[in-house]
Amino acid sequence: MNAWEFKGVTKRYGPVTALGGVDLDVGEGETVALLGPNGAGKSTLLSIGLGLVAPGSGTATVRGRPPLEALRAGGVGVLPQDSGLLEDVRVGELVTAVAGMYPRPLPPERAMRAAGVEELAGRRVGALSGGQRQRVRFALCLAGDPTLLVLDEPTVGLDVEGRRALWQEVRARTAAGRTAVFATHYLTEAEEYADRVVLLAAGEVVADGPVATVKALVGGAEVRCTLDGADPSGLEALPGVRQVSVEGRAVTLRTNDSDATLRALFAAYEGVRDVRLEGTDLESAFVTLTGGRG
Amino acid sequence: MGAYLRLELVRGFRSPVNLVMLTGFPVVLYLLWTNVLDVAPRGWQGDAAAYAMVSMATYGAMGGALFVGGAIALERGNGWLRQLAVTPLPAHGYVTAKLVSAAAGVLPSIVAVLAAGALLSGVRLPAGTWAALVPLIWVGVLPFAALGVAFGYTLKGQAATVAMIAVYFALSVLGGLWLPVETMPDAMRTLAEYSPAYQAGSMGWRALAGQPPEGVSLAVLAGWTLLFAALGLWRYRRAL
Repeated sequence: MNAWEFKGVTKRYGPVTALGGVDLDVGEGETVALLGPNGAGKSTLLSIGLGLVAPGSGTATVRGRPPLEALRAGGVGVLPQDSGLLEDVRVGELVTAVAGMYPRPLPPERAMRAAGVEELAGRRVGALSGGQRQRVRFALCLAGDPTLLVLDEPTVGLDVEGRRALWQEVRARTAAGRTAVFATHYLTEAEEYADRVVLLAAGEVVADGPVATVKALVGGAEVRCTLDGADPSGLEALPGVRQVSVEGRAVTLRTNDSDATLRALFAAYEGVRDVRLEGTDLESAFVTLTGGRG
Repeated sequence: MGAYLRLELVRGFRSPVNLVMLTGFPVVLYLLWTNVLDVAPRGWQGDAAAYAMVSMATYGAMGGALFVGGAIALERGNGWLRQLAVTPLPAHGYVTAKLVSAAAGVLPSIVAVLAAGALLSGVRLPAGTWAALVPLIWVGVLPFAALGVAFGYTLKGQAATVAMIAVYFALSVLGGLWLPVETMPDAMRTLAEYSPAYQAGSMGWRALAGQPPEGVSLAVLAGWTLLFAALGLWRYRRAL
């Protein structure tokens, strides 16, 4: 039985199609990254999958049950994107109260340690920084010791250490056979932590597969440099280059093989300078992949 | 729900708003009227200190019940309910926890004013009357808890608090909790007697004379409770 399943899920908001028929199976123990530009329908899909929003048509199930039923039974831990916290309580009190709602919770101290808020247990929630609050929300998400973790942009507002700790915990849980699905804007997070990537654009799944497969599809990197009198056709002929843009002296090359492109670039253009290599920015990659639909 | 209820109770008893507005303020107001100023209406026959004690205890309890809605509105506004929506706690469990903790939270405001009456203003009543006053006042403010829920699921954030303070004062003045309805013009008095705050107070006032609540009090209170509960339920379902 799949940990999470979507069958022909659609959703319209007035004239806007938020989801245009999404089929998705998430197997037990998988770590799936849901990627897509703003407005692609990631949050809508997650909300429908949790039973918080009714689909226009189609169905979503968690281990074969209606999602809301699974949520109420305590099998799902969710880190929502836009939720708030109680301000006038201590972190420890909040985590303890939420853990108490679940049938088989983690000890609250364990959930707080996993989220890196153990030392904040005695602090008032209202006095926390944005990053600390996000960690508390992660602790709440873990409190019920769920078999399915659903994280909507979990690392927003977290510092480097916070991100590392969060992914370490997610990884530990999936290594133990639990399932995690997360929506993110950061391709690197998907690359490092997901077994499988689902790309959503304009409410449709445009790619779904192992990270390496999808990475090849989204493609490569950007080489930026400064070059006097650059000729686009010459640059296009460099190995690996898929796309060239020239604005005055500023040149941007999109490439599938940055090593080969760079070697050839230096060899062919003596005057090239300020060369920088940048990873593919997800938003722009999507524009390429989805023909501007994103 | 038990774990969440515990948290709500702790919050309620720790809240400075509850302490100051719903317990401190009625006590201070009461002492001002009975021990400092001489504001008993001319020709007033009864024990003004006892009468005002019931009025202020009802006033404080009414606030405690009504302000359930303030908390709901605030927590809806800041996204806490979106967080709760992904836990096993169903929405009705949240409202129940709020109502139970408010029901517990109004007890200190009732007891504080009664204690001020007994200890500082020389109110003397039979033991049975003291014991009856607490549940009578407590039951009398039920409609306001329902009204609070309706407000909480209609308005968000501070707007709810402002609206509820206005309704709180208007209903408590109209209900004769500040000045007895005997001081009102006839038309206003008629209106007052059908208002929930008056009927809540009247159960306590009658108890002072050893009389049980009138049927009309119970009927009016039950009517308001049903009306506000229906309103609350409708708003609650709309807001989900």
